[in-house]
This record gives sequence, C-alpha cells and structure tokens, in this order.
Amino acid sequence: MYKKLNDLQFVIGLFFSVIAAILLLNVILGNNVAGRLNTLTGAVFLVFGVLMMLIKGKQK
Amino acid sequence: MRLELADYLIILVYFIFVIGVGFLIKKKIKSSNDFLTSSRSIPLWITSLAFISANLGAQEVIGMVASGAKYGIMTVHFYWVGAIFAMVFLGVFMMPFYYGSRARSVPEYLSLRFDEKTRGLNAISFAVMTVFSSGISLYALAKLMETILHWDFDISIWVSAGIVMVYTFLGGLTSAVYNEVLQFFLIVLGLSPLVIISLQDAGGWDNIKALLQPEMTHAWKYMGNANDNPMGLHFMSLIFGLGFVMSFGYWCTDFLVVQRAMIARNMGDAQRTPIIAAIPKMAMPLIVVLPGLIAITLMQPALLSKGYRIPTTANGELDYTMTLPSMIAHYYPTGILGVGITALIASFMSGMAGNVTAFNSVFTFDIYQSYFVKNKSDRHYLLVGKGITVVGILISIATAYIAKSFNNINDFLQLVFGFVNGPLFATFLLGMFWKRATGHGAFWGLVAGTAAAAATHGLTVAEGKGGWIAEMYTIKSGMGQAFIVAAFSWIFNFFTTIAVSLATKPKPDEELKGLVYSLTEKPKYHEQKWYLRVVPLGLLLLAITIILNIIFF
Repeated sequence: MYKKLNDLQFVIGLFFSVIAAILLLNVILGNNVAGRLNTLTGAVFLVFGVLMMLIKGKQK
Repeated sequence: MRLELADYLIILVYFIFVIGVGFLIKKKIKSSNDFLTSSRSIPLWITSLAFISANLGAQEVIGMVASGAKYGIMTVHFYWVGAIFAMVFLGVFMMPFYYGSRARSVPEYLSLRFDEKTRGLNAISFAVMTVFSSGISLYALAKLMETILHWDFDISIWVSAGIVMVYTFLGGLTSAVYNEVLQFFLIVLGLSPLVIISLQDAGGWDNIKALLQPEMTHAWKYMGNANDNPMGLHFMSLIFGLGFVMSFGYWCTDFLVVQRAMIARNMGDAQRTPIIAAIPKMAMPLIVVLPGLIAITLMQPALLSKGYRIPTTANGELDYTMTLPSMIAHYYPTGILGVGITALIASFMSGMAGNVTAFNSVFTFDIYQSYFVKNKSDRHYLLVGKGITVVGILISIATAYIAKSFNNINDFLQLVFGFVNGPLFATFLLGMFWKRATGHGAFWGLVAGTAAAAATHGLTVAEGKGGWIAEMYTIKSGMGQAFIVAAFSWIFNFFTTIAVSLATKPKPDEELKGLVYSLTEKPKYHEQKWYLRVVPLGLLLLAITIILNIIFF
C-alpha cells in the first residue's frame, strides 16, 4: 500500500474515490436536497478514481 | 453560502492529500537539484498537466469566467489565439535550447547566451514578480473566502499559506508539480457539473445564441471595427498584442511554466510537454469561459425565472469577479458544494505553489549562487532552497496584507509585471535565432522595452487608467490598452537590441553552440512514430485551433 502511494496516479485515484464516498454517503445518510447531482457526480468520481488506480495497477 | 459537514470533510480530505504528497516526496529529496529542479525525472503526462495547471491559478479560473460574462465568447481568444500557437512554438523551436543547454532556469539560459547582467536583470525582476504574484493570489483567496463563506481573513491567509509551505518545503518542486496535477483534475472535474447543469438551465448553446447580442457569441465577426465588439479591439491589435507579444512573451519565456517542461526526463518529453498540454488548454474554455456566457444569459428577461443573478458592487454595477462563486452557490447543494469550494481553493494554491517553486529556483541558482555565495556544497544550496521557500511564503503573506490595506497595489503590481514581461519575448527571439545579438544589446533592449511600456501606459487612457504623463490617446477597454502597451514594449526592445548588438562585439560561434538555432544540431525526429514527433503533433493542433476559430467565427 505504502509503495502504491508513491504513484501519483494511485494517489489521484484514491483521492477521487474518497471524495466520491463522501458524496454518496451524504446522499445515503439522508441529505436528499438535490441528491441526484451528488449521486451522479459521486458515481463519476468513483469510476474515475477506480480507473486511475486500476490503470496504474495494470501497468505494474 | 453555508457549508455543512460533508463540505468541510471534502476540504479536509483535500488538505490531507496535498500535505501527504509532500511527505511522500520528502524521502526522495537528497540534493538541491532534487528539490529545485526535480533532477529532470518527471514523466511526460505529469509535466504536461503541471504545465497547464501552473497557469490554472485563481486569476485564470475566476478571471476568465468573469471575462466570459463581460466580453462573451471573445474571451476564447486567450486560448485559441493567445496560448496554443505559442505553446506549439515553445515545444518545437525553443525547448531544444532551454533543455539542451542544461540550464536550470530561464535566467541561467540568458547567462549562457548573453551575459551576467542580462541574467541578473531577468532573475531579479522575475523573483520579485513571482513572490508578489503569490501574495496577490493569497490575498484574493482570503478575500473570496471572507466574502462568500464569511471565513476569517487572517485564518484563511495563514492556513492556506501554511499548507502550501508544508508541501513545498517537504517535497520541493516535485511535490508542487504532483499537487498541480491533482489540482488540475479537481478543478476540471469539480467544475464540470456546474457547466452541465447551468447550460441545461440556460436552454443549451442554441438558446444562448438566441438570447444574447450577436457580438457576445461571435469570436471574430465583429472585430473589423473596435467599436462593434465588447472588448473594444480591432482584430489586428488582438493578433499582434495578444496573439504574438503577450502570448509568446508569457508561454515561451515565463519560467513559471517553462520550468514544468524543463524537468522532463529527456529532450523529446521536454518538447512534447507544452504540445500535449495544449490539448486540454484548447478545451479549457468549456470550463472557464462558457460559465460566464451562461451566467449573463441567465440574466436575460426570458430566463429571469431561473433566479440567478451576478452579484452587484456597492455602485450597483455587475461584480463580474463574483460570477463563478455565485454560480457555485446557486447550483451546488451540500456535498458537491464542498467540491466546488475545494476546486477554487485548489486553483489559488496551484498558482501560489507554482510561483513559490519558481521563485526559490531562480533565487537560489540565479541570485544567491551566482552573486553571493559561490562554490559551496550541494547540501548548502539545498538548505538555502528550503529556507528561501519559507521566506517566499512569508513575503507572500506580507504582500497579501499590504494588498488588503492598499487596494490599488494589485493594479499597480499587475501593471509593473506587464511592463517587465511585455518586451521579454523579443530578447529570446533574437537570442535564439540571431547569433549576432549581444549581451549589451539584450540588456539595453530589455531596459528600453520596459521604459516604452511605461511611457505608452502614461500617454494612453482606458477606463480611467493610465495617462499619468499626458492623456494623448483614449482606448475603449483596459484590455486593449494592455495589448497596445505590450506591442510597443516589444517593438522598442526588438529594435534597440538589434541596434546595440550591431554596435557591440558578439560572442564567438564556439560559445554559442547549443544556444542559437543556426549553430545547433537539429533534433532528429524521423526515427519516431508520427504521433511522437513534435512537428506533426504541433501542426495537427494548429489545424484544430484554426477550425475552432472558424466554427465560432
């Protein structure tokens, strides 16, 4: 894990995955004011974040 | 605008990540070159995104949205006229000299090509400009946070500056560059939802065109007469002032951006850096110009029911600089609101860190090592570089407080920066492509160019500014005045450099190998695939840029 943190792609992927988790949790835990925008943005961030981490993993 | 727990969490996660990057890079920093030049070890995709991100500071993001609202689609000229051509030129023609000469900075190239006094003039003016720019960026961040979030001005300044200081102090240039890439994705992905939902609200591009005056949605059509377009510019002033002098002066000579290409792993990557960076740069108007156009469309009578308005100043005029923050407040709910605010903070930090890392390289190598303490150990210069990072941040903080007390200092500093930057490209153009250009010519050319810029500003008036010598000529917009000032400074520098060079003794050809086009072996591209060669790539980008200009003519 620590070694992976030295890869910028992995760090960026992790960052967007964490932000996505916060956005999605915010919707799940009841903040439904314009929840659709948070859900969609969270989903896009999650896909982007996971892809960034996976692409790096595949390259290795 | 009121933030809630989820928004604060997102801001906190961002702070943890940028500082974390600093800690991760720290163990790789062993020498002054690691700290100040990244030891030329950064991969192409990172140098390219950092190249564009170093320019994606607050002035870019907030300023271009404001210009989009004020001047309409003509703002795209800052990209499709004022950036892409210069970036391609830098990659194809100028990087071989910057990178091939093994210079560690732009002023150091001037020292190799010309002499120490030209280097000194450029290094000192650049160091002063970058550190003051960083301070103004910091002031703008704190002011914005105070206005839209009611955060304490002092806390905003010290927290933001403290975070930038931690990660630049720990990881130097590499840390700043890595964070710039993170900031790039955050700004683009964080502001994209805003563009999409507000564009839907405005009824799409066709509705924008239908509701706005035609001069707001045509980039070139109304530029035949300066009085017919919102910028008050004739197309020739735009092409020469922005497209040639200002654009090439910034993208090809400003060490803040050129430094990102100089840390690439090899010559090929260094040349490709600005060219690859030109691809997202070309699309950037979608993120930073379109929202401004959308904002002004939403204020048309047919769309008043949408409830959005650009805030007004105390005088009742539209406060265009608040366009982006007010759109974020209007469209973003809790959660993504934190993403939008973090994107704004990221743009300020990106600009500040870029300035500070360029400042510490130039100060350490071009001022301290060249004029004060020579021939010390590498560890000595590493410590100096780290110390200067702290000093640079502290001067930035002091500048931010001065800017708070004296509002006009921002305008004054921007003006002085224009005087110094305007003529620079003439020096580099002659230095790289005319072997007869001499150190005396370059030095006096720079002095004459700067003086001409100041004189032109003093003799022209635009929007109440300038004319401090005599009000000889009135220009419709401040932007038009800036282009004309830049054009005169370039012309004076160009001809003064030529005249003085012809009257003074040039360096022998032997000393100019690798520094001047005619005396340098040309890079061989034919062994590479076409999409790796800078010339075909550059031509392709130029063709796409021309097509974009035609589409939005």
